[in-house]
Amino acid sequence: MMLPWRRVRVALLLAPGLLVMTALPGFAVDLVKLRLGTIAGAGWSAQAVTLQLNLLDDRHAALLLQAQRVALPDGFGELSAITLSCARAQFTTTAVSCAEGILKTQSTLLGQQHIQLTFRYQLDSGRIDTALRGIHAYDGTLALRARLSDTRWQIDATGTALSLPAVTRQLVATGIALPVVAGSAGLDVTAQLSGVSSQLQEADVAARLLAEEVSDAAGSIAAENLDVSLHATVKAIATGMRVVLDLSGRQGALYIDPVYVEMPPQPLQINARFDWSSAGQQLLLHSFSYRHPGSVLVEGHGLFSPAADVPIRDLQLELRQANFPSLYDTYLRPWLYGSMLADLDTAGELSGAFSWEQGKLGRVSLDPVNLTVNDREGRFGLNAVNGRVRWSDTTVPARSELAWSSGSVFQVALGATDLVIDAGHDYARLAQPVAIPVLDGVLQVADFQLQPGADAAWRWQFDGLLEPVSLSQLSLALGWPELAGKLSGVIPDVRYDNGDLEVGGVLLVRAFEGEVTLRNLKLQQPFGLVPRLQVDARADNIDLETLTRTFSFGRIEGRLDGRIDGLQLESWRPVAFDAVFATPEDDNSRHRISQKAVDNISSIGGGGVGGALSRSFLRFFKDFPYDRLGIRCRLERGICDMGGVAAAPEGYYLVKGRLLPPRLDVIGYADRVNWDTLIAQIMAVTARQEVRVE
Amino acid sequence: MKTIRIPVAMTLLLFVAACVTINVYFPAEAAQKAADRIIMDVYGEQPGKTDAPLEPQSRIHHNEMSFPVHALLNWFISPAHAEADISVNTPAIQQLQASMAKRHKQLAPYYKSGAVGMTRDGEVTLRDQKLVPLQERNTIKSLISKEDDDRGALYREIARANGHPEWEPEIRAIFAKRWISNAPAGWWYMNTQGAWVQK
Repeated sequence: MMLPWRRVRVALLLAPGLLVMTALPGFAVDLVKLRLGTIAGAGWSAQAVTLQLNLLDDRHAALLLQAQRVALPDGFGELSAITLSCARAQFTTTAVSCAEGILKTQSTLLGQQHIQLTFRYQLDSGRIDTALRGIHAYDGTLALRARLSDTRWQIDATGTALSLPAVTRQLVATGIALPVVAGSAGLDVTAQLSGVSSQLQEADVAARLLAEEVSDAAGSIAAENLDVSLHATVKAIATGMRVVLDLSGRQGALYIDPVYVEMPPQPLQINARFDWSSAGQQLLLHSFSYRHPGSVLVEGHGLFSPAADVPIRDLQLELRQANFPSLYDTYLRPWLYGSMLADLDTAGELSGAFSWEQGKLGRVSLDPVNLTVNDREGRFGLNAVNGRVRWSDTTVPARSELAWSSGSVFQVALGATDLVIDAGHDYARLAQPVAIPVLDGVLQVADFQLQPGADAAWRWQFDGLLEPVSLSQLSLALGWPELAGKLSGVIPDVRYDNGDLEVGGVLLVRAFEGEVTLRNLKLQQPFGLVPRLQVDARADNIDLETLTRTFSFGRIEGRLDGRIDGLQLESWRPVAFDAVFATPEDDNSRHRISQKAVDNISSIGGGGVGGALSRSFLRFFKDFPYDRLGIRCRLERGICDMGGVAAAPEGYYLVKGRLLPPRLDVIGYADRVNWDTLIAQIMAVTARQEVRVE
Repeated sequence: MKTIRIPVAMTLLLFVAACVTINVYFPAEAAQKAADRIIMDVYGEQPGKTDAPLEPQSRIHHNEMSFPVHALLNWFISPAHAEADISVNTPAIQQLQASMAKRHKQLAPYYKSGAVGMTRDGEVTLRDQKLVPLQERNTIKSLISKEDDDRGALYREIARANGHPEWEPEIRAIFAKRWISNAPAGWWYMNTQGAWVQK
């Protein structure tokens, strides 16, 4: 907006004095022609300036001012072939004026110009009034009115349908750090500027941007069908400038990498009022607000030193209101890709405050209201989280209270829980023990402590006690076959460090009338891409009849002991273990195995004995007594190294019969079996409901 | 004396040579075949273009046969000729493969448009986000982030499944080439000089 003004001023400053001279009475001159050569002022210079006056009568003259070249201040380019003509300039004792002038020039910036011009020069006061219309600028038009008296000046500018890409190119050329955009976007601007000599005193700028489609070269700033209005006022104050900004977005979409905002039905508004101190290079933010109806309202004030290493000196941000899922989907999620929180379904509300003091985040408070967070991959979730989270960077811990109505971890339901937490600079701990309902049981947690570990990852630990959880619910939740029994345990030391969870103590499963104990439980990256679990398990005195009934395997009576050492699950599937299950040595319970179970065992072994059995005379027996049974499998790299309860000629006994008839042995011969195939066979067997031999 | 010394020296030489080279040889050819199988599956192309996956049963057979042979080769002939198989049959690899195959249907249009390109290090990246409508940009960024996480994990898991975590860079390098080789014409990739090229 300064550009045309400067151009005008070149002409205006030259003209009056000369005109006055030629108009002095007593000189009977018709034509005055002056070669002024080069003239210059602060930041500009004009070469080969000539002035020609053709007197029409004693009050009027035709005026022609020409210059070969005018260099303008940096960023405004150059003018060449300048011709300012006024067919009938009026000369009175007090003023020189031109009602219909024409300014023609070639601008390096704006191209060929043919501008309609009026001016009036007040001889006594030195005041100049001028107006320029039809300036072709940035694919649109620009009109200017300027008033200059003594050292005071005032400019009104109106730009219509200016092209935003052209404007940004121009502003960047003048050294303003802005992205250059391409595309189609029109800008209407009105501006009133006033000042004294080179100092801007006041500015009032209103602009409306209608961007059909614009984007910078990298595509990191882009807009579609955007309708944005800006109103800014700037006022000089003793220390610098006071600025008031109001921006409102009515429609369309804006992308500022990585955030994509669709303008809501009610306008999105940004307001700011700040003082810029040029001496101290400081920005005092009196007030700031960002209002995205239906999503977020943030207000704040603070003090910044943009050039300093830590630009934020003090800042108070009040999160007046935040609505989910909009806040998460629009403003949070783009920053969370690659993390555990990248894919959430959210609902509820949040408010809070953040406070930076002396360049450091000093206090945080967050108050969730019915906040619901559910992982879209079903790994975890919390419903109706309410409470107050407080953190402060002081030695005195801040107390937080949080409660949720329900939740889940890997589909295992968690019940309503209340937490009281004390948190300080880099730690958080439970202020009182907490009981988290897990299915129909309870996980008691005490002495929970959270701290940053090495390489800034978090680690936490607690002492736990698991009150009995029914296996049937747990197995259903995890998508396993339904199991009967109870899971409980004293887990005195649960540690989590950088994605790895270690459980000390022993978990006890009471199932199938026996006991299974789990020790050395370790979970690596439970929520990661490849979760890994390690555990050692031991089974004592399992009742085979209950077990075989559960899995519709075919009835077996007797007891079973076993162990699984070094069980490793990868993505929740076993990849390694060393397992042995067998009839206890001292077991004196009744040992019977049904036709169906024999069939199933043999078909898993791949021996095909089953068919043979039902074809032989043995089909007349419903079940058989046995001495011992058992199976051993050492799994490694997808291969199960198989064994049985005892060695048999060329194989191993899976079932060793009693000496007395009807004696039946099941002997396995395959000593290396593909695990996937084995599982497929077991699944086929347990899924088969019909009984082949009655 | 001479007749004894020569075989002893040769045996020692053989033994030393065998010991030195056993663990450093990377089975590039097998890795490439394994990579092709996974990539074809992810791209959703019909097997047959490259080697079809082996049946589980035949894998046992294969392992049973190759184990002693492999051991013998390692010990008695130059291990440079003893190329190990590459195992890609673990739950983690299968799960990653399935997750990538599922995601590929969403990514494919962006490969085709040139918005997403294949990098030199076996990943994908947003080559030109201007080709993506504004409202889809975060979706595609999320897809790319997940895809690259899966790919990184895949290379790590293959190295790990074969007992050589240190092979990860070699496996990644082979995959980087094979993702590009197996891709249809028209997709964009970064060449060794770091320039984008349309296949």
